[in-house]
Amino acid sequence: MDIIVCIKRVPETAEADLVIDGTKKAIETDDLVYSINEWDNYAVEAAIQLKEAEGGTITVISVGPEENNEVLRRALAMGADEAIRLTDPAFEGSDAYAMAKVLAAAIKDMPHDLILTGVQADDDGFGATGVALAQMLGLPYAALVTDIKKEGDTLTVHRELEGGLEEVDTLKLPALLTIQTGINEPRYVSIMGIRRVAKKEIAAKGAADLGLSENDVGLNGSMSQIEELFFPPVGEGAEIIEGTMDEKAETLVKILKERGGIA
Amino acid sequence: METMEQSLPERLDLYTCIQCGKCTGGCPVSIKSPLNIRRVVRESAVREDLHVFFSRLEIWDCTTCSTCAIRCPRGLRPVDAIIGLREMMVEEGRIEKTIIDALDGAYKYGNPWGRAKNKRAEWAQDLEIANALEMDPGQILYFVCCAASYDPRVQSVAKSLATVLRAGGVNFGILGNKEVCCGSEIRRMGEVGLFEMLMEENMKNFTKVNPQTIVTTSPHCMNALKNEYEGLGAEVLHYSQFVWRLIEEEKLSFSTEVPMKVTYHDPCYLGKQNGVFDEPRNVLKSIPGIEFTEFGRCRENSLCCEGGGGRMWMEGTNVGKRLSEIRVEDALEMGVEAIVTACPFCLLTLEDAVKTTGNEEKIKVIDLMELASMGLGVRPEVEGRR
Amino acid sequence: MEKIAVLVEHRQDEVRDITFEMLGKAHQLVGEGGEVIALFLGDPSQKGLLDAITPHAHRVIAYLDTNLKNFEPLRYQAAFSQIFENVDCQLILMGQTAFGMDLAPAVAAKWEIPFTSDVVDIEASDGDLMAIRQMYSGKVNAKVSLKAGDKRLLTVRAGAFPAEDIPTVSGEVQEITGAVEGDFSARTFVEYLEAAVGDVDITQADIIVSVGRGIKDADNIPIAEELANALGGVVACSRPVADKKWLPKERQVGTSGKTVKPKVYIALGISGAFQHQAGMKNAGTIIAVNKDPKAPIFGIAHYGIVDDLFKVVPALTEKVKGIKG
Ligand SMILES: Cc1cc2nc3c(=O)[nH]c(=O)nc-3n(C[C@H](O)[C@H](O)[C@H](O)COP(=O)(O)OP(=O)(O)OC[C@H]3O[C@@H](n4cnc5c(N)ncnc54)[C@H](O)[C@@H]3O)c2cc1C
Ligand SMILES: Cc1cc2nc3c(=O)[nH]c(=O)nc-3n(C[C@H](O)[C@H](O)[C@H](O)COP(=O)(O)OP(=O)(O)OC[C@H]3O[C@@H](n4cnc5c(N)ncnc54)[C@H](O)[C@@H]3O)c2cc1C
Ligand code: SF4
Ligand code: SF4
Repeated sequence: MDIIVCIKRVPETAEADLVIDGTKKAIETDDLVYSINEWDNYAVEAAIQLKEAEGGTITVISVGPEENNEVLRRALAMGADEAIRLTDPAFEGSDAYAMAKVLAAAIKDMPHDLILTGVQADDDGFGATGVALAQMLGLPYAALVTDIKKEGDTLTVHRELEGGLEEVDTLKLPALLTIQTGINEPRYVSIMGIRRVAKKEIAAKGAADLGLSENDVGLNGSMSQIEELFFPPVGEGAEIIEGTMDEKAETLVKILKERGGIA
Repeated sequence: METMEQSLPERLDLYTCIQCGKCTGGCPVSIKSPLNIRRVVRESAVREDLHVFFSRLEIWDCTTCSTCAIRCPRGLRPVDAIIGLREMMVEEGRIEKTIIDALDGAYKYGNPWGRAKNKRAEWAQDLEIANALEMDPGQILYFVCCAASYDPRVQSVAKSLATVLRAGGVNFGILGNKEVCCGSEIRRMGEVGLFEMLMEENMKNFTKVNPQTIVTTSPHCMNALKNEYEGLGAEVLHYSQFVWRLIEEEKLSFSTEVPMKVTYHDPCYLGKQNGVFDEPRNVLKSIPGIEFTEFGRCRENSLCCEGGGGRMWMEGTNVGKRLSEIRVEDALEMGVEAIVTACPFCLLTLEDAVKTTGNEEKIKVIDLMELASMGLGVRPEVEGRR
Repeated sequence: MEKIAVLVEHRQDEVRDITFEMLGKAHQLVGEGGEVIALFLGDPSQKGLLDAITPHAHRVIAYLDTNLKNFEPLRYQAAFSQIFENVDCQLILMGQTAFGMDLAPAVAAKWEIPFTSDVVDIEASDGDLMAIRQMYSGKVNAKVSLKAGDKRLLTVRAGAFPAEDIPTVSGEVQEITGAVEGDFSARTFVEYLEAAVGDVDITQADIIVSVGRGIKDADNIPIAEELANALGGVVACSRPVADKKWLPKERQVGTSGKTVKPKVYIALGISGAFQHQAGMKNAGTIIAVNKDPKAPIFGIAHYGIVDDLFKVVPALTEKVKGIKG
């Protein structure tokens, strides 16, 4: 089985104090630590487990600058066979839709039985690239996958629904799945392992190589555009809820509803 | 990569083991864990395929206290067999999530808790401590440690040490946000490559600072810097050694009475592994008002607290009573008010044991530097316990 | 915006809350004189579900076909091919849910409808619209504009808008009954599975009720369980609670336990030690109940109640049960 996994390099922002830059459309990234998008790490592991069971090849693809080779190398050390990086100044400003076009242009000419993406990216979290990509490639797909079983050219997958419910579907290969965290336990990638693949060539392809024009990608090829970034209002430390016990409970219920705390 | 070419038993000379069992006899976790270090040594030597160990959780019970290595009549280091097996597991990526998180954190953020790099020196914000990278060569570099930098409970130790150093008239600096994990625990969790990376990063800064002496909060950092870092010219001392030197040289003395009945718990990495037994006791005894009693099991025979060898991130089989709880109960029987120790991990595990045994009203756990700071009339603020 | 269509989300014969949240927002956006259209795709036997929707939409387009009993993206797309022409609207709303995420991006790509996802607010400005979405784990908000188009498509985050107090209008139902056609064998719905009880995986939970030593005794665990059940969440704990075997070790949160990232984490009688915080600090919303106002947990919690958990929890559980009927 030939598997393609799309992986993104994202900044880790949970611990960081973010600063919006001068353009107001992006954040300052100099001090941020980057790594593979968490969902994509699970997707790579899922691919490796399928390969271990079924044989075949794994190719990882990432769209982005040279630094993205870090996540590609990490995936190679983890067990992927080939890595490709798609890069072009014209790709800048792409939204999930344009990003899917870039990926589709690269993947359409590559042998593929199964394509895996993450459910969403840690940073901008559109949660849309995978499903849009499937549509462009004309493949059956399933989003939010938490279990994969293969029998012949049929996959049986579980999708994670709300409130602890799962949906079981069957899919005919070739297909695309967006992988949910928790589907497996991604293996650790040691520093020695990464050093071992440090010399492996990673091919880079640009818009022209993919037959894409400037109008297909970037802001021109996107459906949406960031106009402005701003900070949501936040308070320091906990907001203490006061009142009678009944009022406290009432306020809590309201907060729970707003924050998705009631399934 | 060279290390991988020799097999584990070859590299560690395990074939010469005479199976006397002295290692297991001294192993503090053997009483409660399926871990039998003598058998691990034997099996590592005779088994064709060491993958059998991968499913044995007890490999992670070892605290790397090194008692086994001290007791072995053949001069072997059984503990290194454990670390070697962990290295194999790390290489194949087959380790528990909590360990992965600790390793990832150290890789990305330079500390196993994955806390932000630029918050490493927050504890020192109001203390006006010099930036070591701007000091003249030949001075004192204080190597803080991840636990002391980030854990609010241990930050109090770093702050107290700063107070004590100041009182002793010491000019010292820290690396601030440039300091990264010493890698001691990382190496013991089996990630040699990452240990080397962290070592290189710290060495780069040590070379720039070019200090005469590096003083550490943690015996684990001290051990790594002193015995495992390659090409480090500076003298490396644990704070207990350095502070005792200040007292001996009459640069420091304590004038505030601290009336307290205490005992002292020997950290394995300070005592057993580096033979530093007297200095902390001497410091302790030079604080007026302190009434000191020894644990029955002390010095070379001290009981491990189970905080080392990656155990902060992985509990292993976690059967039976925690050794730290035994330690607290022993101390209660001795009628002391506080257990004094000199290691961040011991401090945390012992204090946790005081809680889990429900003895918060009866006994406290204090770091030696917190006590010293009290001897100078400065009460440490312990934030984790607001 | 004059006309907004909302895709009704239903599962196991129940209309999901997100539907009403979107209807409410749609009413607000179209204002007086505008039209809110509900799109309902379902089996003829599910027609009864319309009763809940008709009062809140000016028009309901109900496509009833046996092929549409369960949500299946290929069938939904086929149905859309037939109804899109009849739906005259400037904006379509779907949920950023397991259902919408499995459909909306494909619909946008197929019909080239300008689209953005996971929207937490929608602002109308100068006849155009701006979508507000969160980035970087909710630390930054982005104002996003969409390309011009007859129609636009947004997916809306669950819980972003209130589901109550939606204007009541007299809705007219427009039924479509032709068969949904196509070969749908490439993806087939098989069944729904309830997560097995017993093997709770706290790392996957959206809602966690976590107990610390403040719970005092094993016999008190059920009060936390009752709250968790009412919320549709699971119970987790601090290490001392696992040590005492009041809950299994797999439920322990922290450096030597599990790292969790739920939408909501309710800490009951947990002091918030560093080792505990490390395992839960990235939760979306942290609510702490502790009787000690100085407990470190309040330093990282978003909301706090300084009170006895044995008073707070039963009161809260009762309220939650109340609203769930
Ligand atoms: C106005 C605007 C400007 C932007 N400018 C830039 C820019 O200059 N540079 C930039 O890098 N990003 C930029 N982005 C973000 C980038 O385009 C997003 O990656 C894209 O919108 C996809 O959305 P997502 O990452 O949230 O993926 P989601 O829809 O959340 O899907 C995630 C999955 O898609 C796959 N995927 C997503 N991105 C990639 C990738 N790069 N390579 C391989 N697989 C991927 C992965 O499998 C991932 O798990 C911009 C976005 C906007 C809206
Ligand atoms: C190596 C090591 C690893 C560790 N790993 C972990 C880990 O993975 N996870 C973890 O959780 N801990 C871990 N710990 C333990 C940690 O240091 C703390 O001891 C522990 O988290 C404290 O648990 P707690 O908050 O439940 O208890 P306590 O700290 O005792 O807090 C109990 C709280 O309950 C409040 N309270 C009491 N009664 C009530 C009431 N009626 N109503 C409301 N509030 C009340 C009190 O005010 C107090 O704040 C570890 C420790 C060590 C040394
Ligand atoms: S003490 Fe040394 S010689 Fe004796 S069993 Fe252990 S490893 Fe072998
Ligand atoms: S290092 Fe300590 S815990 Fe580990 S095997 Fe040796 S004696 Fe036992």
